Amino acid sequence: MARLRKKPGFLYITVMQIQLENLVPVPLKDKILQRSSDIWNREVTFTPGHFVKIKAPSGTGKTTLIHYLYHIRYDYTGKVLVDGKSWQSFNKEVIATMRQQQVSVIFQDLRIFEQLTAEENIELKRVMISPPYCTAEKVKEMAARLNVTHVLSQSGKTLSYGERQRIAIIRALVQPFKWLIMDEPFSHLDNENAQRAADLIGEECRARGAGFILTDLDNDSRFAYDTHYNL
Amino acid sequence: MMQSFFGLLRKIIQTGIGKTRLLMATLGLAIAMLLLLLAIQAHTDFDQLLHSQQNQNESADFLVINKKITNAMMGQPTKSEFSPEEIADIKKQPFTDAFGFITSNQFKVTAAAPGELHFYTDMFFESVPDAFIDVKNEDWKWNTGDNTIPIILPNDFLNLYNFGFALSQDLPQISQETVKALPMKITISKGLITQEFTGRIVGFSDRISSFLVPGNFMEWANQKFGNGEITAPSRVIIKTKDPSNPALVQYLNDKGYTTNQDKIKYSKTKMIVQTIVSVIGFFGVVLLLFALLVFSMFIQLVIASCKREIQLLVTLGTAPRQLRRYLMRQFIPLYIITGIAALLILAGLQWWASGILATHDMFVAPMLSVFTFGAAILVVLLVYAVNLLNVRKYVAEIS
Repeated sequence: MARLRKKPGFLYITVMQIQLENLVPVPLKDKILQRSSDIWNREVTFTPGHFVKIKAPSGTGKTTLIHYLYHIRYDYTGKVLVDGKSWQSFNKEVIATMRQQQVSVIFQDLRIFEQLTAEENIELKRVMISPPYCTAEKVKEMAARLNVTHVLSQSGKTLSYGERQRIAIIRALVQPFKWLIMDEPFSHLDNENAQRAADLIGEECRARGAGFILTDLDNDSRFAYDTHYNL
Repeated sequence: MMQSFFGLLRKIIQTGIGKTRLLMATLGLAIAMLLLLLAIQAHTDFDQLLHSQQNQNESADFLVINKKITNAMMGQPTKSEFSPEEIADIKKQPFTDAFGFITSNQFKVTAAAPGELHFYTDMFFESVPDAFIDVKNEDWKWNTGDNTIPIILPNDFLNLYNFGFALSQDLPQISQETVKALPMKITISKGLITQEFTGRIVGFSDRISSFLVPGNFMEWANQKFGNGEITAPSRVIIKTKDPSNPALVQYLNDKGYTTNQDKIKYSKTKMIVQTIVSVIGFFGVVLLLFALLVFSMFIQLVIASCKREIQLLVTLGTAPRQLRRYLMRQFIPLYIITGIAALLILAGLQWWASGILATHDMFVAPMLSVFTFGAAILVVLLVYAVNLLNVRKYVAEIS
């Protein structure tokens, strides 16, 4: 079964099974209970290692769900369980370690530090754990694959949305994880760049034996999804 | 381009925003530390001046204490006696290291010089526990049946004779050795019972102004020639580390006791110095509190001004522990530099003061005392602990 080591900085030996139990966001309660959803107010288990797609039309709480899964918003009823324990039962230090080693994220609003260069934004995440999970060369390689090598030394402030998105993707891939949580990860990319990014994400997940949960507005066939949900 | 995690944090969490505040806090800490350590060092130095082996011959002092004889008490000897309660009270005072009675004789004593000297006088004896006597002599012992009694005279007595009496009366001055060689005829009596002894002077005491005989002789003689009643002592002797201790002087004054005033003359000086040192120390403590407050405000300001950045760092997985460690790392060098600077300045002062005092034949150590170093470490630890608590609190509030 899942086992958590107290010592931070150490790789947790966990399965990282994510379960939802009657999860309902408080602000969207009335709206959600009027319509049917595969996720809200249900028992859902995300099987570790699966590629999960959640299709979510605007206004159905897509970003809210991502924030609940990553535990940065808590205004819900029901439960989000990690290995059978609710997020609330983990302390801040343990959650930090899980975010460094178990679960990674790509936000819709990207969240790049503007006072750092693109490369420093990635580096920050890479050297947050010691020793780092991947090498600096690996970062360069990923940047080259996503066509952002030329912006690496640019300040975060001057990056376009498309560039920020690709930097955010690389930043999410420099750490170990069991789950990658993505919120419209290709929204600012053209089809070609989106497919390159999707291929890289797929490879990295498979290399870790990890799964992902991706939310998007429409159907797509960029990944070989194991599971589809409608929000 | 490789950068450490803390190097990147430095670009995100700008500590420059409160630089003046940080400077003020550090300056305050430095001055506070200087005052506090100065107070402690000055205290140690003054203690050393009063008590160290180089400045004084004895590390402990003996005070003979008696009640002040006032006109109202004259003719009522019991009024000058110490009651058991008074004795118990003296014994339990913190400045009393040892306590002893001075026992008086309850019989008549006369002394006569041998041979041609034609010297005859009534006199008295007293005894104190041997631990209080500054004359160490093999002959200072008496066993029941011995016909010779060892006697200790006060040094002052011989001086009075040699320089006062003998000179004015055209009598020969006598050396200590001569006095020791003279056997005295001591007669002890009560009513018709008398017994003769040979008295031999075995030494001269600077400490106790009395004619001393061994305690066991006094006990035996009081039993045999006394009236059988155990009278309360009217003089007691205490051993104390510091006769200039203001608490001791205050105690004596309050109770109406008196002692050798010369021994307690430093008391007033000491009280003044202690007051000054305490005031300096007090300001040091107040300033330290202000410095801590400014430090705390600085920490609050830095964390509040980088709230969004810190929240994003935490979202990305930065542990609160890492943030705390990063923030504390900004402060720790400041404490250590401040502490070392304060110690260096004080060490310079101490060395200089020691040199000046040495030219006046007063000795204080040229090095700072262990207490001063200890206090510096304590202050640094205190500031560290308070700042860590603040960092912990503010980081926990926003993460």
